[in-house]
Amino acid sequence: MAAAPRLEVTGVAKRFGAVRALRNADLVVHAGSVHALVGENGAGKSTLIKILSGAETADAGTTAFDGREVSIGSTTAAMALGVATVYQEPQLFADLTVAENVFTGRELTRAGRVDWTAQNARVTELLDLIGLPARYATVAVGTLSIAEQQQVSIAKALAGDARLLILDEPSAILTDTEIDVLFGVVRRLAASGVAVVYISHRLDELFTIADVVTVMRDGETIGTWPIGELSVRRIAELMVGGVLEDGPREHRVPEGTPRLELRGLGLAGRFHDVDVSVRGGEVVGLYGLVGSGVAEIAASVYGITPATSGTLHVDGAEVRPRSPRHAKALGIGLLPSDRKQQGMFSFQTISFNISAGNLRLLSRARVLVDRRREREVARRMIDRLSVKTPNERQPVSAMSGGNAQKVVLARQLVDRPGVLVLAEPTQGVDVGAKEEIHRIIAELADAGTAVLVVTSDLPEAIRISDRLHVVRDGTTTAEFGPGASQVDVLAAAAGAVEVAP
Amino acid sequence: MSAPAVDRPAAARPGRVLPFPVTGQEVVLIAVIAVLWVALSLATPAFATEGSVVPLLVAMTPIALIGIGMTVVIVTGGIDVSVGSTVMVCAVVIAKAMVGSGIPLVAAVALGMGVGALLGLLNGALIAFGRVQAIIITFGTLNLFRFAGLQVFGSATVEGIPPTLAPFGRGDEGRTLGVPHSFLLLLVVAAVAWYYLRHTAGGRHFFAIGGDPTAARLAGISVRTRIVLGYVLTGLLAGVAACFVIAQGTSSLAASVGSGLELSVIAAVVIGGTSITGGRGSVLGTLLGALLVQTVRTGVTQLGWPSQLSDLFVGAFIVVAVGADLLRQRRRPTPKGTT
Amino acid sequence: MTARALRLVLTQRTALLVVLLVAVVVTMTTLSGNNYLSAPYSASYMASTLINAVPLAMLALAELLVITSGRGGIDLSVGAIVSLTGMVFGFAYGQWGWPLAPAVLLALLLGAACGALNGFLVAHLGFPALIATLATYYAFRSLALVVNDQRPINSAPVQELYSTATAVTLPLVGDALPRVPLGIFTFLVPTALVVWFVLARTTAGRRLYAIGTNDVAARWSGIDVRRTRWSAYVAAGAISGLVAVVTVAQFASARPDAGTSGNGMALPAITIAILGGVAITGGVGRVAGVVLATLLVVWLNAGILLAVPGNDGTQFQLFALGVVLVVAALLNALTQRRYGGTQ
Repeated sequence: MAAAPRLEVTGVAKRFGAVRALRNADLVVHAGSVHALVGENGAGKSTLIKILSGAETADAGTTAFDGREVSIGSTTAAMALGVATVYQEPQLFADLTVAENVFTGRELTRAGRVDWTAQNARVTELLDLIGLPARYATVAVGTLSIAEQQQVSIAKALAGDARLLILDEPSAILTDTEIDVLFGVVRRLAASGVAVVYISHRLDELFTIADVVTVMRDGETIGTWPIGELSVRRIAELMVGGVLEDGPREHRVPEGTPRLELRGLGLAGRFHDVDVSVRGGEVVGLYGLVGSGVAEIAASVYGITPATSGTLHVDGAEVRPRSPRHAKALGIGLLPSDRKQQGMFSFQTISFNISAGNLRLLSRARVLVDRRREREVARRMIDRLSVKTPNERQPVSAMSGGNAQKVVLARQLVDRPGVLVLAEPTQGVDVGAKEEIHRIIAELADAGTAVLVVTSDLPEAIRISDRLHVVRDGTTTAEFGPGASQVDVLAAAAGAVEVAP
Repeated sequence: MSAPAVDRPAAARPGRVLPFPVTGQEVVLIAVIAVLWVALSLATPAFATEGSVVPLLVAMTPIALIGIGMTVVIVTGGIDVSVGSTVMVCAVVIAKAMVGSGIPLVAAVALGMGVGALLGLLNGALIAFGRVQAIIITFGTLNLFRFAGLQVFGSATVEGIPPTLAPFGRGDEGRTLGVPHSFLLLLVVAAVAWYYLRHTAGGRHFFAIGGDPTAARLAGISVRTRIVLGYVLTGLLAGVAACFVIAQGTSSLAASVGSGLELSVIAAVVIGGTSITGGRGSVLGTLLGALLVQTVRTGVTQLGWPSQLSDLFVGAFIVVAVGADLLRQRRRPTPKGTT
Repeated sequence: MTARALRLVLTQRTALLVVLLVAVVVTMTTLSGNNYLSAPYSASYMASTLINAVPLAMLALAELLVITSGRGGIDLSVGAIVSLTGMVFGFAYGQWGWPLAPAVLLALLLGAACGALNGFLVAHLGFPALIATLATYYAFRSLALVVNDQRPINSAPVQELYSTATAVTLPLVGDALPRVPLGIFTFLVPTALVVWFVLARTTAGRRLYAIGTNDVAARWSGIDVRRTRWSAYVAAGAISGLVAVVTVAQFASARPDAGTSGNGMALPAITIAILGGVAITGGVGRVAGVVLATLLVVWLNAGILLAVPGNDGTQFQLFALGVVLVVAALLNALTQRRYGGTQ
């Protein structure tokens, strides 16, 4: 190719405090091609795109656009260059029309009045390009489906004559048909000369959409290959790389009947036919990529969104948790996946956070808070989970992610539930705390608890599970025993056709 | 145009560049008001007469006028509970000026607008730059403005106000061809506000701010300036409303003027379909809300019921209007994976 | 040292209020000692003005409960509940000849029922609290005015109630302390103690703080969020019902506009709650702060009345209230940014 590449990134690095999020990234993206960027969580993908879209500035390295070196200091600077980014969650104004959303902040005006005709003409073109009906131009965005909203985000990104379009896991929240539509849009854009950077966890879809693939690992780009030279398995190997695989947990699972059983569990539109069983003393992993439905399964077991088909059994008896309160009464404990939103009472103390889920237990006659026991329980938990804090009266908002996570976990351990569902137990937690949380999970199982760990962290899933189920497209697909290889599991989750041994 | 399909926004016709200008809520309001008017005309022959309709239209003007400003404020996600006190300050300043130096009509209106805008500026600046919830700040300024107003009153009612503002009053002077001037002025202001909010970039930015302030800032909108503008506009319109209030009264002005007005204004705005959480609202809805409230008040009086009973209906209308809105919002799609 | 003291005063609302309270009392006493005031700012004067603190503090405690419940919790209808419940209490005690105790109980229950309607709209139907209570404010106020055709009830039994509102000499300490209005002991202190006890010592209090801090996390923790929030509004209504009795006794008359005339009772109550450190965003608020804020406002107002005689006095009270509220709110915002919040 004679022309200079649309984007050429060389030696870009970024550090957040002590964490080297990006060590060394090189990326060459050509106009008219769809360039996939893959890597495990924490490999540095999102940091790289934040730098490209101007949301963060690089500490080192150079960026060239059409052969000209540029510095992208802000989101507006990025937009001026023609870099448009579509994030996973649509950032739109629900009550404004599609046309208005596309032009918010850069309205086309004539004599002080918004030129609706001109805007609509442009939006109609864009809608046609992304495959939405033209009449949507005047429809409020809030009335559209999430997939359509994402398409509107793409239209918005394109309105400013995008020359480089970055799509951050656009398929994660879409259904299969919606993904087909998305691919059509991406292909048309590429054909019209736009350079597309496509980030995805779903390796199988890369073979439908991508021309080239760049793999990232541990903050570095480790190479770029044409898609024709790769297979799902090969990409998985490259992503996992030479990472030392931990040996399986030294642990003999006791025989016995399952304490928790999901038989053909389903929730309309979210997941279906999920079969999982967990015996006492066993840690079962449920591994799936973002959008695979794995998070929804956990929420259903806990009664947040009750299942619509199949059955759920605790100690052999069929149960139908209606609410977290009910699930708790049935002996199911759950660590929510989103610590800040669903877990923490941020400015309240550690002991408040622990007792909030156990008020009945820590009370006298259910009415009075037994403050002495509350204090004792909090101190015991701080000790048992090695929470780093001077005392139990500290607010959790002041704590590190790992310590706060331990406090939220402690809340679930007070009444020693027989079944424990842990969703993303180590998300946003530093390495040391991660080790400790893994140790706590093993201890819980050794004490006889049936533990179901729902995670999108592959090494974690393999490391702590006695058995591992892979969730893909809303259902359990493959099961692995202890000592499964990361490559096999990832390939299964990301949609390799060949089934792992 | 015949019976447009307003309930389904998706039904915009080819060639239309905007959603239909009247929302479902507004159609329902129009229908409710129409039913009320018909029913009241049948129940009391006095209702559909000039002697009843004109005072009704005149009486709704202050609330509707301030409601236009309040709509903008609420659309941005704020609220202003100090408008009653603002009206009081403006009214007493104008009244004193008229009594003291006999200023003409134009000067009186300008004075009211100036004082009102100043008070609105104070509210807006405190809210936008002090980063404090609007409701707290305006609760505070409610007291402060009232203090300032009472100081101007000097512990007595203002007596002997000249009829300078009579062209905005209830009497013959206040009407041309039977149409009250204050109502005409309201319509003009409403039309301008409607055009501004619907057809200019600046107007649309208020809605964006209320929808998502962070996204609005990222889109290059100067959020703080817009927020301050909303409060200034509300103050300014409260100043004009103060003129109407004086014109509708007798030649004396008591210190209780404007007391409790904020709640009537907020009631009219929310009945009109403006969302208290921001991002959505319309001038037309607010006008209809104010008209509905005033219709209920007039109707209750003319039916010979205790006039205080009308507030019970106002309360019920608020519940019904907002409840309908909540139902509509619940039907919106929720993102996959959020619980 | 000074930095720590400043931090303490800024982050601990009770500390700030104590400092302000001492400043007000010292200033006023000094002014009084130098004969700048129209009457002595004495202990007995301060005690007698406490009569104003009773309804104010009780309604502020009601606001404390609903604001702490989060999601924009607020109750604009408390004044209207006072009016309506006061009228019904007036009927029961003044006209139907009920004994006092059942009549008070009726007031309490009716107030709670009004609060239950608010709570249903807010917690179960998802109305914004501001709107729901604005609507019920109108409805209750209207009913209060209509129920007896705008006329107050001041029959003999009601008038005799006035004696209960007068000041009493404390037993045991006798004349060592000034005479304090009886309402303090019969209504305010018990209410404050109960609210404090519920918030600080019971599981219901914990649930309230939990839903106010983060209602999603509360749900995931197995707390019945709707019921808890509903209860807060019921409690606020019940307290308003008690305030109705206090108000009837104070005026020797059940007035249909008792809680709604002028600016009404809700606005000052909300103001005092916020001044007392209750965060409008929920999850933060303590009885001590609200009580101290009431004392500050009442004694500041009492001082202003003596310093600025006549009508100007009441006007300066508005000024003081407004300034104190705005400054407190700005201070809250500042400490939020500098120290991460007020406690």
